[in-house]
Amino acid sequence: MTATEPQVLIVGAGPAGLAAAVTAAHHGAQVLVVDEQARPGGQIWRRPDPGAGGPDPLAGPAYAAGRALLARAAAHPRITFAHDTTAWGVFGTSTTPDGFAAPPGTLVPDGPRVAVHGPDGVHILLPRALLLTAGAYDLPVPVPGWTLPGFFTVGGIQALLKGHRTLAGRRIVLAGAHPLLLIAAAQLVRAGADVAEVAFAQGLPAPTELTRALAALPGNRAKVAEGLAAVRTLRQAGVPIRTHTLVLRAEGDEHVNAAVLARVDRNWRPVPGTERTIACDTVGTGYGFVPSTELARQAGCAATWNGSAGGWVLVHDHAMRTTLPHIWAAGELTGIAGAEHAVAAGKRAALDICRSLGILDTADHDRELPAVERELAATTRMARLLEHTCTPDRAALNALAEDDTLLCRCEEVTYRKIRHTLRDNPGLGTADAVKLLTRAGMGPCQGRMCAPALVELLHQETRIPRETLGPFTARPPIKPLPLAALADAHDATTHTPPAPADTETPR
Amino acid sequence: MTPDPTKPTEVLVVGGGLLGCALAYHLARAGASVQLIEKDQLNRHASGQNAGSLHFQLEYRMIQHGPTVAARAAEALPLHLDAMHSWAGLEDELGESCGVRRSGGLMLAESPEDMALLAHKAHLEHTHGLHVELLDARATHERAPYLSDRVIGAAWCPGEGKANPRLVTHAYARAARRHGARIDTGVRLTALRHDGRQWLAETAGGRRMAARAVVVAAGVWTGEVAAMADIRLPLVPVALTMTVTAAAPPLIPHLVQHAGRRLSLKQTEEGNVLIGGGRAAKFVQHAGALDLDARPELRLDSVFAGADAARVVPAVQRLPVLRIWSGATSLAPDQLPLLGPVPRRPDFFVATGGSGFTLGPTYSRLLAEQVLTGTTGLPLDDYSPARFGALNFV
Repeated sequence: MTATEPQVLIVGAGPAGLAAAVTAAHHGAQVLVVDEQARPGGQIWRRPDPGAGGPDPLAGPAYAAGRALLARAAAHPRITFAHDTTAWGVFGTSTTPDGFAAPPGTLVPDGPRVAVHGPDGVHILLPRALLLTAGAYDLPVPVPGWTLPGFFTVGGIQALLKGHRTLAGRRIVLAGAHPLLLIAAAQLVRAGADVAEVAFAQGLPAPTELTRALAALPGNRAKVAEGLAAVRTLRQAGVPIRTHTLVLRAEGDEHVNAAVLARVDRNWRPVPGTERTIACDTVGTGYGFVPSTELARQAGCAATWNGSAGGWVLVHDHAMRTTLPHIWAAGELTGIAGAEHAVAAGKRAALDICRSLGILDTADHDRELPAVERELAATTRMARLLEHTCTPDRAALNALAEDDTLLCRCEEVTYRKIRHTLRDNPGLGTADAVKLLTRAGMGPCQGRMCAPALVELLHQETRIPRETLGPFTARPPIKPLPLAALADAHDATTHTPPAPADTETPR
Repeated sequence: MTPDPTKPTEVLVVGGGLLGCALAYHLARAGASVQLIEKDQLNRHASGQNAGSLHFQLEYRMIQHGPTVAARAAEALPLHLDAMHSWAGLEDELGESCGVRRSGGLMLAESPEDMALLAHKAHLEHTHGLHVELLDARATHERAPYLSDRVIGAAWCPGEGKANPRLVTHAYARAARRHGARIDTGVRLTALRHDGRQWLAETAGGRRMAARAVVVAAGVWTGEVAAMADIRLPLVPVALTMTVTAAAPPLIPHLVQHAGRRLSLKQTEEGNVLIGGGRAAKFVQHAGALDLDARPELRLDSVFAGADAARVVPAVQRLPVLRIWSGATSLAPDQLPLLGPVPRRPDFFVATGGSGFTLGPTYSRLLAEQVLTGTTGLPLDDYSPARFGALNFV
């Protein structure tokens, strides 16, 4: 184990992380970006894994900004990337640091210690500023059949396509509430898939919503154009796009072989007698996204419930500072708002980081700020519009699960089991308490797949506010970590002779 | 039996962990009118956060500091023996599974010094009636082929094992409710005084309660709660670290402890390996005062130390670690339980002091007996807060 001290550590190489890295490095900061993937880009700008071959999924006008940012980050001499590397814990944030846990004579600096695990083992990083840009993942929605092979979230289908040039299936039904469904469907059509239907739970925008949409247009033309181009592609391919439609369940024994859809009313409740079955081998759902706040919450950053922004989001100020010193956050984990907004927020955070580290003086900071603030404002308008028109109706989705539907697929806990547990144990009132009693959320996904559904089920059954029910407490490692990696790090810590005091870098 | 709201509360139990819920059960079963209050959720703190060991041998922390300390700690062995029997009958008593498995426990030695400690420990335990068998290297590896060659011997205690900390507290709570106990969560005590006839309690929600007797079973908060009644208990808060791996096929049937390291491990029924043993976590402080409500901060050295398990059980190296967490308890300076009536405070009882999970069924049964009858079958004098009377803490 070695301790290294980057000036600025950025966790996540998606839009927010890349924009922040380029901005901070441009102003003179030394930046280290750690990312779980083999190549930078995050989910939206995902490129083929090394060796996957095929055409670049980022070709085309929709990804021009992404291509440019990736190129600038890759070329910048003050930006270093640590790929295939997971930041799995942040330590030392809630109390004053102490020297007695370190080898004698070791200087123990103030600020967070970030534990990462990469190809060469576990390292502890001691950045002066930590920027978290971990992004988001698809909102999982348990319905009967959701654990069958062939049942995906739309983000998973896209990752296979972009990262591995692989079609998730031959005949695909996409359903949900988020416009990403259109983008993904068009990508699938262009890659040769048979998209049987794209179903939206909500209706077409009302005239008032269209007015809002026009108001959000300035600064977001590229994004709107991307959506319109996708619709054109689907029309030309004859793919039906339906509104007021939900996937109720998937059918099949060993694999998905059909999706059952139905018309729904304005409250997303199925209309009796409208069920129809579509033969398909793949279902992809896209109801929106969950901010990936695990590392930030594990560190101790405060989070708050905002259902229309994805659920639990990080509390932050206008300069993207979290509630903890030395830690900033940008992008989806402060609320789902899209790649363009993440880019603007990344720049905003980088400016504040550079100023707080003394790299950027106040005059320069203030000169840079207005352009970034305008970008933030424009992308925020678009994000609010999407929030307004695409927020998933969590109560209606909760009603799709049946008693024997698995809520936690890792530990195989059903909706029935949760309901019985609530009935038998009066007073249960937090997601953590139900997790401990039922094991829901205790498996390898660490609750990412079941936490939103569990909180909604508990809310519907008990009427306790979601805010009170809480997220699962985030513990390190925030992704499973081989015990051998900890053991190696421990041996290195135990056997490293203390460094002489005069070689320490003063901080 | 449903609670009778017109009946005055006889006993107020503060704390909804294993001890509090078990106390409520024993008191209510004996016919007392019981009110339990818990500031958070039942089983939210140490009772649900500990690793579920049923350890009846003396622990590492008790034998590491010389024969005098060990001899003093050994005075709790009568409770250990009682607890061994209590756990054996618990699932029948409560009528449901609590994950109790008594497939034996090993305390490992990696060095001749460890072996010498184990021999001394076995002698001490023998004099108190607990029979522990010393195994040489061959016998150890025959019994536990999953151990590494570093292990040169072990102390074997057939009655040891594990119980499921996710389930036990709730099983007690359900049984207590069946016997009429009232259990309320999200109720934080803010004041406690005796008016000459009975105890008067106030809560953060403005609720007032009266009871003849008060039992504090509030884990690491026991000292804070007792302080409301102007009692300064000699307790040391201790924050500890636990690690759990992903589930694996059955590998380790025993409770495994170590004579020379802070290490315990076991495999749950579901297959996860739980690693504990007393590695420190760090209490959060504000302006120099401990904040017991804040989750104790994990220390990196303790996080890495969980990997010690791989030294003695190499197969765990392959397993992914899923979660590392901290929990807190409180110990008395002599490592003995703090169990019984507080002097000069009428009908005020406390129950805390380490090994609260393993000894919980015993603590709760004996203390309920004490509260209701003023005496116990197994004498509690050695564990009574009165032993610290010279400190003038009341």
